[in-house]
Amino acid sequence: MPRKKEPTLRNCVRELRTATDGMTQQDLADRVGVTRQTIVALERGEYTPSLALALRIARVFDRATDAVFELDE
Amino acid sequence: MNAMEKVAWTELLVSLTAVVAVALLFPWLGDAAIGAFGLLGLMGFAILFIRRRGSRVVVDERDYQIQLKATAVGIYTSWMAMILTLIGAVVCSGYADAETVPTRLLNWLLWLQFAFCFGLRGLVSIALYRRQHAA
Repeated sequence: MPRKKEPTLRNCVRELRTATDGMTQQDLADRVGVTRQTIVALERGEYTPSLALALRIARVFDRATDAVFELDE
Repeated sequence: MNAMEKVAWTELLVSLTAVVAVALLFPWLGDAAIGAFGLLGLMGFAILFIRRRGSRVVVDERDYQIQLKATAVGIYTSWMAMILTLIGAVVCSGYADAETVPTRLLNWLLWLQFAFCFGLRGLVSIALYRRQHAA
């Protein structure tokens, strides 16, 4: 029986980060408590973050979580 | 390359080195070549990659996810290989009218499982990191 494909999350983290004066991937990683590589994977849409990480990222940009992450079905 | 990816490379390279060393020493030393599996202990140095540097995060949730998946694949596959080999050994000894499986086979099997499990775990981790194109 084929497995149901896991839904992925689209996000606008890169746009929000670059719009926030000079914030680097490392800065964002330090603020949300992950490695820079995780931010890289996240921005490329290759990694689906945990709920806690999604909430922390939304808080950094002072946005609602669903304004940053969108379910891609 | 992040810290856990370096750990994965260490696991893969050390496992391969140990297996190659055993294979090279076997013609001269016979069963004593099994001692070269002691090289697997070098994996302990991988802890140096995950030591904390300042306040910067070294291992995060993505690393845990990848390690969990890789460990599951490594352990399940090596268990399956071990059980199949043991079944094969019992069947072979039955056909050969031998009453026991040689203990040297079990000794070899145990060490090969260690090398196989860590090597596969490293390989799967690297593949998962590559798939996500981690910078």
